[in-house]
Amino acid sequence: MTNPEPDAIDRDLIEGLLRELAGHLHALAEHDLTGAIDLRSLPLTDVQLDGLRERLGRGEVSASFDVAGRSEVWETRYPGIWWIRHYDGLETVVVERIEITAVPEILRAGHADLAAAAANLRRELAVVEQDYRAEVGSHGGI
Amino acid sequence: MAASETIGEELLRRGISRRALLKYGAYLASLMALPPLQARAMADALAAARRQSVIWLSFQECTGCTESLTRSFGPTLEDLIFNMISLDYHETLQAVSGEAAEQARLAAMRENAGKYVLVVDGSVSTRDGGVYSAVAGKTNLQVLEETAAGAMALISVGTCAAFGGIPHAHPNPTGAVPVSAIIKDKPLINISGCPPIPEAMAGTIAYLITFGRLPDLDQLRRPKSFFGDTIHDRCYRRPFYDKGMFAKSFDDEGARKGWCLYELGCKGPVTYNACATLKWNGGTSFPIQSGHGCLGCSEPDFWDKGSFYRPLSATTAHPARTVGAAAATGIAVGALGAALARRAKHRALTGGEKS
Repeated sequence: MTNPEPDAIDRDLIEGLLRELAGHLHALAEHDLTGAIDLRSLPLTDVQLDGLRERLGRGEVSASFDVAGRSEVWETRYPGIWWIRHYDGLETVVVERIEITAVPEILRAGHADLAAAAANLRRELAVVEQDYRAEVGSHGGI
Repeated sequence: MAASETIGEELLRRGISRRALLKYGAYLASLMALPPLQARAMADALAAARRQSVIWLSFQECTGCTESLTRSFGPTLEDLIFNMISLDYHETLQAVSGEAAEQARLAAMRENAGKYVLVVDGSVSTRDGGVYSAVAGKTNLQVLEETAAGAMALISVGTCAAFGGIPHAHPNPTGAVPVSAIIKDKPLINISGCPPIPEAMAGTIAYLITFGRLPDLDQLRRPKSFFGDTIHDRCYRRPFYDKGMFAKSFDDEGARKGWCLYELGCKGPVTYNACATLKWNGGTSFPIQSGHGCLGCSEPDFWDKGSFYRPLSATTAHPARTVGAAAATGIAVGALGAALARRAKHRALTGGEKS
């Protein structure tokens, strides 16, 4: 069964969601309140989802990464409104959501990851330094 | 993975960043209709949690529930859920067999006393002392009572474990009963369906690990997030019901055009499950989308409720009048109800949080 062409009901639903987003954006700008809408939990047809995505468009920033499956994140034409889509390993969309925030949490490096990265880098540098000292020692010093 | 190691530490050791848990949290929040902003809190909770010991017992069943779970989602996300649990006993999936398998179950019960989750699929034979189904010289009834004693919580997966299912159908030769008829002193979740939707099983287990408590349940102890709406409520053919447009046979014009299958015996209006939204086979389709009415397999005694092809209203004295009234009422309230439901759902799913 194919989806019908967008009609007045589709457009009304999209406009309703846009008004909701406008409210979230105002809350973010004025009160630093973040928001999120889980698009897959809404009874949206593919036509309505495509219509909303086209209406929001794409802005300056986009990112993709591969963690437990591919993910795509892009800022819409409205800074602060982000479209986030996660796939599983079979390229099926498992999460489709809009976040209203300055930077989506998933783009930030977590504290534990930062600490692990710092430890790894120190360890790698220690090995380099050890190799250097061993090399210098074998040549009888500078 | 060391027993003391958290899920976050284990993932970090394998070079998998916190983003994987954030992604899983977002997936779980979407799956269980939780506020989308909870994804971050769930990721943090999962990172700090330890792997959950799970003992899985199979009684009078067909292994369809296990088949369903192992196809829960794509390989990478599947890998994540299996990193969150320690499946200490599962007759179909475990490598060991015989005495070694039974020793593994007893060892897991001993080492995780009071902390393990007991998953059961299949109904429990009780007639003649339960002799009609036994493993390793013990009846299912004995093994259930023995294993449930030290469990933190029980999850009955599939309609057989939840409500007795097909083994319980008339004339029920083995005296089959659901797990809840035997174990009455433990927290218990039913995830019914024949088989249950894989995401409902994996999502409920992940919820238990994340929050350390049971999700909200309906009166039949099913998670409301998966069993809160009827198939009919969320069916893409609902607009045809609202307009009174019904297929009258499986090959007529209405059937070909995808009209409502209510008059062909669809049990969607009285069946609570998430097939219409989560669908099957990675979101590909579900029975109604394939042209067949819902059998109502997630409801108690679905096998004994008469023909799968008899319309629900046919059980009343005036089938034609009932159908007509249902259709007329649907036309009047359907559109408004759908709009209100969408709005209410939307409000429930969005919210604000200080960043």
